[in-house]
Amino acid sequence: MLAEKYAAQIEKILAKYPDKRSAVMPLLYISQEEYGHITDEGIVEVAAIIGEDPTAVKSVAGFYTMYSKQPKGTYWLQVCTDLPCALKGADQFYADLKDYLEITDDGGTSPDGLFTVEHVMCLAACDKAPMLQCNFHYVENLDMEKMKAHLAEWRAEAAGSKTPKKKA
Amino acid sequence: MGEATKMVKIFIDEQEYEVPAGANLVDAAKGIGTDIPVFCYHPKMAPVGMCRMCLVEMGVRAVDKDSGEWVLGEDGQPSVRMQPKLATACTANVAHGMVIKTTTQAVTDARRNVLEFLLTSHPLDCPICDKGGECSLQDLTMNYGPGVSRMNFDDKQHLDKRFPLGDLILLDEERCIQCARCIRFQKEVAGDDVLGFFERGRSLQIITNSTPPFDSYFGGNTTDVCPVGALTTTDFRFGARPWEMTEVPSICPHCPVGCNISAGTRLERDAGGKAVIKRIMPRQNEAVNEIWICDKGRYGHHFSRSAGRLAQPMQKGASGSLTAATWNEALDRAAAILQAAGGDVAALAGPSLSNEDAWVLRQVVEAAGGSRLGAWPPSHGGQSLVAQVGVGVGTNLGELGKGDAVLVIAADLEEEAPVWRLRIKQAHDRGAFVVVANVRPTRMDDFSSEQPRYATGKAAEWLRDLKADHKALATRLTESNNLVIVAGAEGLTLEGSRALMQSAANLLIESGHTGKSQNGLIGVFPGANAMGLHYTGFSPEAAQAIISQPPKVLIVAQADLTGDDLAAAEWLGKVEHIITLTLWPDDVANQAAVVLPVTSFAERDGSYTNGERRVQRFYMAQGPVGESEPAWRALSRLLERLGKGRAKQSAAAVMLEMTQQLPVFAGSRFSELAHVEPQLPEIGSDFYYGGTAYKNMGGLGVQIATAADQGETVAAADVDVPKVTHARGDLWVIPSAVLYNRAPDFRPTALERLVARVPEAYVEISAADAEKLALKDGDYVQVSAGDHTVRARARVNHAAPKGSIVLPRRLSGEVTPLSLTHGTVTKIGG
Amino acid sequence: MTTNGLNIIYRERDVKNIHELKVYTKHGGYEGLKKALGMKPAEVIDVVKASNLRGRGGAGFPTGLKWSFIPQSEPVKYVVVNADESETGTFKDRQIMENNPHQLIEGALIAAWAIQATAVYIYLRGEFWDVAHALDKHIEEAEKAGFAGENIAGSGWSCKVYTHLGAGAYICGEETALLESLEGKLGQPRVRPPFPAQKGGGLYAEPTVVNNVETLANVPWIIVNGADEYKKIGTDKSSGTKVFCLSGHVNKPGNYELPFGITFRELIFEHGGGVTNGKKVKAILPSGGSGPIIEATDEVLDTPLSYEGLSKFGSILGSASVIIMDEDTDIAWVASRVTKFFKHESCGKCTPCREGTYWLDKVLDRVMAGEAEQRDVDLISNVAHNMQGTTLCAFGDFAANPAISTIKNFPDDFKKHLKA
Ligand SMILES: Cc1cc2nc3c(=O)[nH]c(=O)nc-3n(C[C@H](O)[C@H](O)[C@H](O)COP(=O)(O)O)c2cc1C
Ligand code: SF4
Ligand code: FES
Repeated sequence: MLAEKYAAQIEKILAKYPDKRSAVMPLLYISQEEYGHITDEGIVEVAAIIGEDPTAVKSVAGFYTMYSKQPKGTYWLQVCTDLPCALKGADQFYADLKDYLEITDDGGTSPDGLFTVEHVMCLAACDKAPMLQCNFHYVENLDMEKMKAHLAEWRAEAAGSKTPKKKA
Repeated sequence: MGEATKMVKIFIDEQEYEVPAGANLVDAAKGIGTDIPVFCYHPKMAPVGMCRMCLVEMGVRAVDKDSGEWVLGEDGQPSVRMQPKLATACTANVAHGMVIKTTTQAVTDARRNVLEFLLTSHPLDCPICDKGGECSLQDLTMNYGPGVSRMNFDDKQHLDKRFPLGDLILLDEERCIQCARCIRFQKEVAGDDVLGFFERGRSLQIITNSTPPFDSYFGGNTTDVCPVGALTTTDFRFGARPWEMTEVPSICPHCPVGCNISAGTRLERDAGGKAVIKRIMPRQNEAVNEIWICDKGRYGHHFSRSAGRLAQPMQKGASGSLTAATWNEALDRAAAILQAAGGDVAALAGPSLSNEDAWVLRQVVEAAGGSRLGAWPPSHGGQSLVAQVGVGVGTNLGELGKGDAVLVIAADLEEEAPVWRLRIKQAHDRGAFVVVANVRPTRMDDFSSEQPRYATGKAAEWLRDLKADHKALATRLTESNNLVIVAGAEGLTLEGSRALMQSAANLLIESGHTGKSQNGLIGVFPGANAMGLHYTGFSPEAAQAIISQPPKVLIVAQADLTGDDLAAAEWLGKVEHIITLTLWPDDVANQAAVVLPVTSFAERDGSYTNGERRVQRFYMAQGPVGESEPAWRALSRLLERLGKGRAKQSAAAVMLEMTQQLPVFAGSRFSELAHVEPQLPEIGSDFYYGGTAYKNMGGLGVQIATAADQGETVAAADVDVPKVTHARGDLWVIPSAVLYNRAPDFRPTALERLVARVPEAYVEISAADAEKLALKDGDYVQVSAGDHTVRARARVNHAAPKGSIVLPRRLSGEVTPLSLTHGTVTKIGG
Repeated sequence: MTTNGLNIIYRERDVKNIHELKVYTKHGGYEGLKKALGMKPAEVIDVVKASNLRGRGGAGFPTGLKWSFIPQSEPVKYVVVNADESETGTFKDRQIMENNPHQLIEGALIAAWAIQATAVYIYLRGEFWDVAHALDKHIEEAEKAGFAGENIAGSGWSCKVYTHLGAGAYICGEETALLESLEGKLGQPRVRPPFPAQKGGGLYAEPTVVNNVETLANVPWIIVNGADEYKKIGTDKSSGTKVFCLSGHVNKPGNYELPFGITFRELIFEHGGGVTNGKKVKAILPSGGSGPIIEATDEVLDTPLSYEGLSKFGSILGSASVIIMDEDTDIAWVASRVTKFFKHESCGKCTPCREGTYWLDKVLDRVMAGEAEQRDVDLISNVAHNMQGTTLCAFGDFAANPAISTIKNFPDDFKKHLKA
């Protein structure tokens, strides 16, 4: 139960706003962190905390792309392929990355379940293209060589030498 | 509305008009004959400017501040400043000097373009669409749309065409035009915020994530406000084409609100060529239900066509069993019984009896020398107080708002009178001070400012002593501009309920909130016609007296005695002869000497007097079942046999007589009840707001004036508070009402999906009491109260106050107590 | 990286570690706030009005005037900082928040004092996860030091500052969509009027000022140095410096804080190190994805950049996100790419935008797949025109711009893709 497990954090969030409904977005992040993606269970719990019908919460989760409606790999890689990045070779980078991870579809996950790769719109890092976000943290000025190094590091992290970076 | 609204001058397509200041532009334009097409706009909801169909050119004439004259330009013409872009009319309010152009090329283009955009995603399956024939998209495309599609057909999205939002409403995702009317209705109007958008852009879709899905008592209204055929009821879907139906004006028979409804009927082969109701829609009556009805009213009519209706008169033969009879035989027998009664004749009338039925019934009793007229069920008192200080003539709950107050007490409006709940919710949104007093939380609490609690059974004392004990609250209520008190009888005995009504009347009288519109008392009486029974001379007190002292001959008219009173079979046993008028061969019929089959509201003409004392006329929508006849006709024929003149030939004729003999009905001739006047907002003459069924062609009804309205002084009277106590160790048993239940006018409905919503019998108990009794939520328990034993699931929650349990009535075959009593709870299973 | 030594915004270029509170205060930080607190709120608004500061979020609305719309009589008012920064090619606000966060906090609090706001909310796009969390720490520091929260700088006036993260929706940069989002709803724009500054139109229906990060980061400097000093920078109608986000085919992409009035040529060649691989510049998107794309003629390259300057080319300065495209760039592809952005980001609330972006994208796909004819290109242009001027918010106009301007300015690039 989110309400118990994250009680202190939730209390802090609720204190920020005169209207509890405003807490829906931060609470959805917590729920996503807890359950890995947006689940019906999480929606119902968030709804109870802010005193809204679950429909309102699901509706919000549906509108915003950073709430993942499907399970994702441990590392959720969002590669910017919007115009400025594309002008700097982001399309190729994105294709190479997918190939390297043996992912065929946009938004697909690598066979080992570690990496989900999707392309996204401008991330406000156009001067550092190609770039991506890994579990919401920016990784910039990339090429495949640097990328492979990052991937190796994340693999090692996932293998247990380090705890994986939190999604949220 | 009070003072005359200020009028302003506006200019539409070069024509000058005077319109009320601040009115919505679309509404104002419609009022003066200019059609501004809309999709998302709905006059009952806040404008959102989404669909962009209503784009017009908008500007303003300059006004000289000092003289108030138009400022003239160099060319001698009034100088006009037009906005650079087209503007949405639906989000604009008229103001002095406003200049609107609706026929320019820019506007014509914009309309065509918006339609083209909408049609790019639309499946164009009009030939099989339920809305075909009353669809705004279809209609507007004909009027303003492009001739051909430039969209490559393969580019269209293909979506779910049959997505169930709930078991009663289906969504066709392809047809949806994202106007959000359904979402907004549920949120703004109904207050059940269970629909929403999911995703965004062209992927935007309507969803619900509530559990259970889309179960709002008002959900059906979304199919009416949907401008296309995206939302359909599973009941009516593919049932008939709108143009095949005849719309018959009717009145919902289920509760005291008296919603005006329209029965869409069609001649059906399966019904032997008789007319059958295919759907019920709201019919506009701004003072009563606006354009809304609850789902019980929409779907509940199926009870009238369910199996088991009594089709033929019966009488008890020598053997003691009922056998079929002709009408003449049955009536002759009834007449003979009445004549042999020696004057010891009484009647019990149920609240779905019409005014006309009740009047003729009374005449029958009197003709047979009797005088006792009981109104069933004997649970709610104070009808005479409503007649004295009820809401003033012209009251419209839809106009209560800031500065006004509403006190709801001892009622669960959501369950007992859903459309009042909806309308008071909106009054609250408009700023009215809404107080919901009860021993327990009810849904209405969500839409109120304060929720005071009183001790079980103490509603009358609480209200009587309000000024002394809760001064601030009392002041706030009494000093508001307008005050309406809506009082029920939940958790009270009949005497307690009458005392509560007296407390309410006193408060209104003492603070001057009587005898004027928007002020006064409303009783939440069960059924559609409790006030009609009152005005024709029936009373619950008389019913109680009949129970304790049964007559020799009793006429029972559409009253479910055995369903409401466990002891009925026993005291009915003391009656020598029972004559019953009924839709069903029920337990009373089994004990009766004569059983007369009567028609339901749908199969006859008549009138009801609603809780706000509005006499409203309903018309025959479908053919009768078997030989059943309207109660007034059966009774009138009986009256003829009792030697009281010729039987009346029509309900209208009965009412005509009533207008002469009962002063309160003086203004209620059927022609007057059928009178209609234009209503605002104008809904129903086109398809913008959902089809032509809304149009009120059956009449707005006539509100009976209260004594206070007529200037009579009504004095406050002592509140005669009954003493209620209970044995040590007992719990108070508070019977409550649930909208969907197993009462005869609902349970036999043919619509299984709706019947499935009748909850399993339950009883609400506080956590403290549950702990004492070692009960867990969901335990199977037995409630024993007097002779009653009722089995139900325990719901351990905060809905019952400590020391009391709330026991909904009529959820199972077991008879529950009708009024406040006391008893014990024991666990009988896990 | 800087040029003329005047970094009003990017002061980290002059002062190392200015993101640290002690460094910031040592170099004049929060002096503007203290000074403002010594003035009457109306005087603060007058100074900002006189400075000619215009909104850096895109529309260039005069900031002081916006503040003056707030009805003082209302007890509850808000300042909302627009840190949504989602326009394609825009990445300036992030740098301010990362490197000079206190200047934003200070600017926002001066705005709050000027309108007597009860709280400040900084709405960051969801992807600025790390930025927001760092910003939270800076706010906490400021609070501890008495520059935010209770009894600010001993003045007796209190105002809390909060961050709020979005979750991936460009439209939340539009101020009313932002307010909806902050209220926990879908980020769909509201009907105006009422405007945010009016009762009923702002956050929780209270009067609200919404300003861009860069706009507010200018305010402390203006208060400290005065309106006249500020007006000396830039052009007549566009005062001060502007951050230009330079991206695309340039050697040194990045943020350049420069006075209004510099030219594209200076920006690209002096500051941006010229076009990559020594190519010629073919086209420029001067205002990110949402403004019309223009051909890089000499006349364009030599035009002084200001709010007023670009209108003669049918374009706008907007948020000054300058995307450079070299001579090899296929402009039809650009149109398709940018249109995909808008299709993805349309909130779906109003018909022309929801349906138009979907339709444009479909037809552009056919163009790119070589399946289209000239009449499809004409159709694109026509559909895009039909969107403009009819939508609920400016997004619809933005979304139509790329298609319209590319077809108009680069017709040959489309012809190459057509069926024979
Ligand atoms: C579709 C759309 C997107 C916008 N995105 C942003 C944005 O990301 N950041 C921003 O500051 N302003 C954005 N704006 C402008 C804001 O609506 C608003 O004008 C601005 O925040 C006002 O602040 P300013 O006066 O300081 O510029 C956007 C406007 C539109 C119509
Ligand atoms: S123009 Fe687009 S983004 Fe703006 S309201 Fe309409 S659908 Fe939403
Ligand atoms: S935008 Fe006005 S009716 Fe839809």
